[in-house]
Amino acid sequence: MPEVTLKNVSKAFANGRIVAVDKVDLHVMDREYFSLIGPSGCGKTTTLRMIAGLVEPDEGEVYIGERLVTDLPPEDRDIGYVFQQYALFPNMDVWDNVTYGPTVKAWEKKKREKIGREMLQMVRLYDRADAMPQELSGGMMQRVALSRALAAGAELLLLDEPLGALDAKIRNELRYEIRKLVKDLRLTAVHVTHDQAEAMAISDRIAVMRKGRILQVGTPYDLYMNPKQIFIANFIGESNFLEGKVNQIEDDRAQINLRGDLEVESSNLKVVKKGERAVLAVRPEAFEIAEKKQKLVNALAGVIERIRFEGTDIRYEIRLTNDDSIVVVRPSLGGKWFEETDKVTVGFSPEKSHLFKYPKKGLTAELELE
Amino acid sequence: MRGLNASKIVGLTAVLAVSVSLFIFVLMPTFYLISFTLTRWNEVYTDVFANPLIGDANWQQILRYLSFSLRLSLVAVALDFLFGIPLAYFLAYRQFPGKSLLEDIIMLSLVIPTSGFGVATLLTWTGVSGIGALIGRGVVEASYVVPLINVPLLMLLVHVALTFPYVVRTLQGKLEDMSPVFERASRTLGASALTTFRKIVFPLALPALFSGGVLAFARSLGETGATMVVASIHTTAPMAIVRWVSEFKLATAAFLGFLLIITATVAILLVDLLLQKRSIFRIPHWSLASKVGKRVLKVEKRLSGKPKWLKDIASLGAVFFVVILPIMVVVASVGVYWSTDPDTGRAQGSVIYQLFGPSNYFNTLMRATLTSVFVAVISTYIATCIAVPSVYMIKRYRAGRILRYILRVPLIVPSSALGLSVLLLWGPSGLSLTTPGIWLIILTHIVFSVPVVMEPTIAAYEGSGILSYEGVARTLGATPYDAIETVSLPILKRGILAGIILSFTRSLGETGATFLVMGSDVTVPPLVVNMVESLAIPAALFASAYLIALSLVLLMVFRIVVRK
Repeated sequence: MPEVTLKNVSKAFANGRIVAVDKVDLHVMDREYFSLIGPSGCGKTTTLRMIAGLVEPDEGEVYIGERLVTDLPPEDRDIGYVFQQYALFPNMDVWDNVTYGPTVKAWEKKKREKIGREMLQMVRLYDRADAMPQELSGGMMQRVALSRALAAGAELLLLDEPLGALDAKIRNELRYEIRKLVKDLRLTAVHVTHDQAEAMAISDRIAVMRKGRILQVGTPYDLYMNPKQIFIANFIGESNFLEGKVNQIEDDRAQINLRGDLEVESSNLKVVKKGERAVLAVRPEAFEIAEKKQKLVNALAGVIERIRFEGTDIRYEIRLTNDDSIVVVRPSLGGKWFEETDKVTVGFSPEKSHLFKYPKKGLTAELELE
Repeated sequence: MRGLNASKIVGLTAVLAVSVSLFIFVLMPTFYLISFTLTRWNEVYTDVFANPLIGDANWQQILRYLSFSLRLSLVAVALDFLFGIPLAYFLAYRQFPGKSLLEDIIMLSLVIPTSGFGVATLLTWTGVSGIGALIGRGVVEASYVVPLINVPLLMLLVHVALTFPYVVRTLQGKLEDMSPVFERASRTLGASALTTFRKIVFPLALPALFSGGVLAFARSLGETGATMVVASIHTTAPMAIVRWVSEFKLATAAFLGFLLIITATVAILLVDLLLQKRSIFRIPHWSLASKVGKRVLKVEKRLSGKPKWLKDIASLGAVFFVVILPIMVVVASVGVYWSTDPDTGRAQGSVIYQLFGPSNYFNTLMRATLTSVFVAVISTYIATCIAVPSVYMIKRYRAGRILRYILRVPLIVPSSALGLSVLLLWGPSGLSLTTPGIWLIILTHIVFSVPVVMEPTIAAYEGSGILSYEGVARTLGATPYDAIETVSLPILKRGILAGIILSFTRSLGETGATFLVMGSDVTVPPLVVNMVESLAIPAALFASAYLIALSLVLLMVFRIVVRK
């Protein structure tokens, strides 16, 4: 029953000039659906490849289960790997692709045929067994790739941006299918993606990576409710960032003086001291809007500059009296709608905001995705 | 008529002019032997099959030489695969210092002057200054035939050396193009490196392998210059053509040339038209019986772990023995034979004596060099003038695709057949444009120089998005010809320059065709053949080393131009 453990794993390319993975420690629990997310170039794919054995770490150790596998080639690690480009062998039909693993592991014919049938039935493509990969749609190809990866009985499934090449609708459906498959078969899965919504939807736990390091590991709830860094507050979901100074701290509350002398109260203290510069993060969906001069907690006055109707939500861009601009998102089918140029009051509850120290390199640099 | 303006008329005239030039200078000479044979069928038939004096003896001879050549070429290609496949893998997947040097050496085989290379190989294996220096006598006699396969060793070595680049380069290109993701997928599914090769890489690379093999085969079939030098008592089909022309058995020679050209054309069509880049060979559903299958997998697993360098050493060793060693020997031998004949100790058999003594080969050599250079310059120039507009034509019009394939034939056609074709077409027995001599040589060289200049130019064109740049220029107000002149030609410049250098090099080293059309205006490569036949070995050595050095220098220039 595989867990995956990485200890102090590093990898650099181009003679050490490009550090892809920087002393990473990771522990994936048995039968967990674990995602590695982060912006392009953050090292998540390299990390996955080191778990698979496609890349050798410069230092550190990789364990699958209890086994130290750092020096083992991929064919000896007993894993299933799904590639973004599907990588179905173009010179074989679906059946030969799916039974490839069992074939090269010298399984008996009967056993091979049984597993081939089961796998293809699981992804509902048994009737396309003699199609060639080029005849299939993207979603079908990925399902074949999935069944191929699992046919040889691996209990650890590694997925490298498996949905990246698919249409949005297919992506949204297939991701749940993958999770169901993994849970039904009681596998451990490590899933790499840059799409945080995807990871949030199907993972048990998520690790956020940036520039070769892991910033935070937690359940989707943890990461959404309690981001430990500004970057994470921005990367998971969305956040508005307001700069200010801490006036007072009382227990777990802080009084913050925003630009233009607007006063608000926040909780969730992140090691900010009185008098220090701080950044307040409030998610667009955490705000309430009301008509001008209505009484709200942490009320701020502003003018609606732009409205976008996005189907499920309405997105308001609001310019506050201190000239800061915020985004507020409200469900379109609940509550009052407002118009451009309306003067409104927005408010948020202190529990739904996060306070961070003002970053040394400046806010823009801290939020950079590359 | 709508849209018929001055610029369109100029355009059409240009297309017409280019097409006519292509036809006259390249296509007609290449395929003339075919039309000759067909239009003069009675004459040919009588001479070959129903000769009043000797019955069908000529046909029997043709068959003999053809089957000999076919056997030789098949064995050569088989060896090309044996050593070339690991080499291609090695080059595609490994980075190591000296890799570009290795690629240069492989490229050298394609442009090396064939007769000079023949001398080098001859000396390496039969002379005392080659490998023989280690054992005190020549390793083999020139006529030595490899047992079991019945193919002369020297010819085989020369043919392998001159054709393996086709296999290596096409396979290397395909391996480099092929997405590495398939191999990775196969490994994650549990397959060892060798199993992955067998089941995935090899089937996907098969079209490239096949086309490389066909090219190598056709090249071997048409190889003349080096073969003539190492032939001793054997005769290949292209050599027979040369001999029969000198004996004035033109009809028989023409018929054999006709057969060879047909074979080359079919080969090219097979490779290009049937095997499109994207065709995939599907492995039929046979699976090895379970026990056998298991054992095969186990063996592959064990071999995959073994040091990979074993097969790499073998291929690299082959390249060394077949290409590098002869060149080293020839250069060294010039030194050995410089002032005295090492066998007799006398001055008579030395390089200096032969060059500057009574036979005065130095003079002949210098004159031949002048002729060679003159021919190379003129033919390359004319070829470029035809080739560059042709590239445009080929790229702009649909029919251009077929034209491109047909224009590869002159590169593969046996050089002696090409020489005969030109001789019959433009020479005294044909249109009588000119007699054998320098202008006939130039006309001959133009035939293969046009395709040689065209290919790198097309490659540059295809790799550069020229059409979109020209489009941009025109939206900014440039006329089509302004656009070509100011935007495209500079982009194509490098490709054209590369083609020019290649054409020049090739022209300098061309032997087989030149032999037939030169009359008394000798160029250096046929001079080398003559020297060997008159047993003026030291002089031949010098001339060969000189030629090879020249082509090395030109190759380096080429590399610099292409790299920038």
